[in-house]
Amino acid sequence: MEDRRSRIEERDPPSSILYPLSSIRRLLRLWKLYALMDFMLIAADLKLGLTYYLSDAILNIAAVTGMLLLAERFAGIGAWTHDQIIFMLGYATVANGIVNLLGGYNVMMISRRVGRGQLDHTLAQPQPIWMALLTEGFMPFSSSAVLIPGIGLLAWALGRLGLAIAPGWLALLALNLLASAAIVLAFSFIWGSLAFWAPRAAEEISSSTVNMLSQLKVFPLDGLGPLLLGGLLTFLPVGFIAWYPSRALLGIDPSPWGGWLTPLMALLLALLAAGVFHKGMLHYARTGSQHYSGFGHRS
Amino acid sequence: MHAQDHNTTADSDIVVELAGVHKTFRQKQRSERLRDALRNILRPPIREVQALRDIDLRIRRGEIVAYAGPNGAGKSTTIKLLSGMLTPDQGSVRALGMDPVRQRVRYVQRIGVVFGQRTELWNDHPIAASFEWKRVVWDIPRPRYERMKGLVIEVLGLGEFFNSLTRELSLGQKMRAELGLALLHEPEILFLDEPTIGLDVLAKRTILGFIKELNRTERVTIMVTSHDMAELEQLAGRIVMIDRGRLAFDGPFERLRRELSDRRRLLIETPNGTAPVLHGAELMNSQPGRHEYVFDAAQVRIADLLEQASAQTQILDVETHRAPIDEVIADIYSRWRR
Repeated sequence: MEDRRSRIEERDPPSSILYPLSSIRRLLRLWKLYALMDFMLIAADLKLGLTYYLSDAILNIAAVTGMLLLAERFAGIGAWTHDQIIFMLGYATVANGIVNLLGGYNVMMISRRVGRGQLDHTLAQPQPIWMALLTEGFMPFSSSAVLIPGIGLLAWALGRLGLAIAPGWLALLALNLLASAAIVLAFSFIWGSLAFWAPRAAEEISSSTVNMLSQLKVFPLDGLGPLLLGGLLTFLPVGFIAWYPSRALLGIDPSPWGGWLTPLMALLLALLAAGVFHKGMLHYARTGSQHYSGFGHRS
Repeated sequence: MHAQDHNTTADSDIVVELAGVHKTFRQKQRSERLRDALRNILRPPIREVQALRDIDLRIRRGEIVAYAGPNGAGKSTTIKLLSGMLTPDQGSVRALGMDPVRQRVRYVQRIGVVFGQRTELWNDHPIAASFEWKRVVWDIPRPRYERMKGLVIEVLGLGEFFNSLTRELSLGQKMRAELGLALLHEPEILFLDEPTIGLDVLAKRTILGFIKELNRTERVTIMVTSHDMAELEQLAGRIVMIDRGRLAFDGPFERLRRELSDRRRLLIETPNGTAPVLHGAELMNSQPGRHEYVFDAAQVRIADLLEQASAQTQILDVETHRAPIDEVIADIYSRWRR
């Protein structure tokens, strides 16, 4: 027993300068674990898994089909050409896929975990809360039902647009996609933190916010008044899920720094979400969970 | 009855220490009357529930401590404080020389927690997957993991359902797996909050036997809450009782019986159907020729009771035995409630 305790003390990393490195190693190890668990979940019943996969893919393509048909019928929407609309829809679907990639097991719907008292499970683990939340929802196989059709749509649009794609532009595209996904998650965490103070009333608030962003993200916002547009880029940042980054990446927006606005917004919202969530966690440590819903492990 | 601390214990041997701990929860009260609807929204009356009041408790390494009390007494709050899930309003909570909340990451690496009404198992995966998950998240070295996995599979009998989905298992099987999971990283302290709730006799026996064995061989410190007093007495030498947030008793079970009352039962067989009237004993049950009494042996001598009985009727046979611990505790709880 004595030997074991010493080993644990030696391994304790926060004071070490190698902590960032060990954190990255740990993140990779955990992502590998959750990827395997996700695969096993689908592979356990192949028929069921494929049905789930197919229906999820159809559902997500159907979500953007309405806008696609409108663009087809009118050969574009406003200032957007038909192919640019396809690009935006592909972008929106991939961003949604990234959210699903990291947001499984109700990480994306964080208010459910908070409201159901399931953060106790996270607190029982010997790792920082951010690390648990960043890894536990990693479901690369289940989420690929959204991600793969999205990538297909994006590639199709790029082919039709005939853009000269440079590596720098591709990197900026990837950064914007990650930023858009981060905005959805941050927005869900900001509102979801209400569940710390009102566990029952706000248990479903994250799903409402995520669904709202998901439904509005496919609309091009050009032509809206400055007040409404300002609101849709700040208080309800739906404009950053697909519309604005697509404008910036396709050069519709003339600003040379347009490609960096979505990442900047993601950073600001992520900081705000971290602050609000941290405040909520302090409240949680004082009051604990007033109830616990036995829906199984973190679901 | 006074709470008693184990003052004779060397400080270096103390693994759990609560000093002057207070915890209060605030509950909003809501009236059902329509005219109070606005007040319910704007300024609902607040009821303060004192979950823990001035709790002092020390536990030595290798002890098994039964932590008991009626519903709402503060047992689960204490376990949560000691699991790093909750902070006290006042006082200090230390375990293994650490603050469970401030040093949570390091601390939970060295403890195990089992909540009888919660699960750490992954519902849609086999038990094997939950074990592997634990290995990675707790960063358990492979040789230690394999050794502990083999041990818990064998002793808790997990082999037959180790590859079955958690959601397909019975409550007893889940609880055995839950306990096995909590032990994989060889915790130094094990907090068990009603670990045998809803289990059948056989599953209880397996789990209790394993906990005792673990304590004997590995010197794991165990704090266990339960409403089953017979189970707690079987498991622990020391019982800490809590009532409405206050420590009401801390000592061995034997002393608990002695201090509260030496409650015993007396069974008398007589040739006729009438039960003799015994001063100092309460008639619990009477059938023709067979009468059962309960009395406090610290107040009344058995010989006096038998003398009273024999003065009234012929006695064919006599049996006396201690009242079950549950009966003693039920007495205490009802006394506290009065």
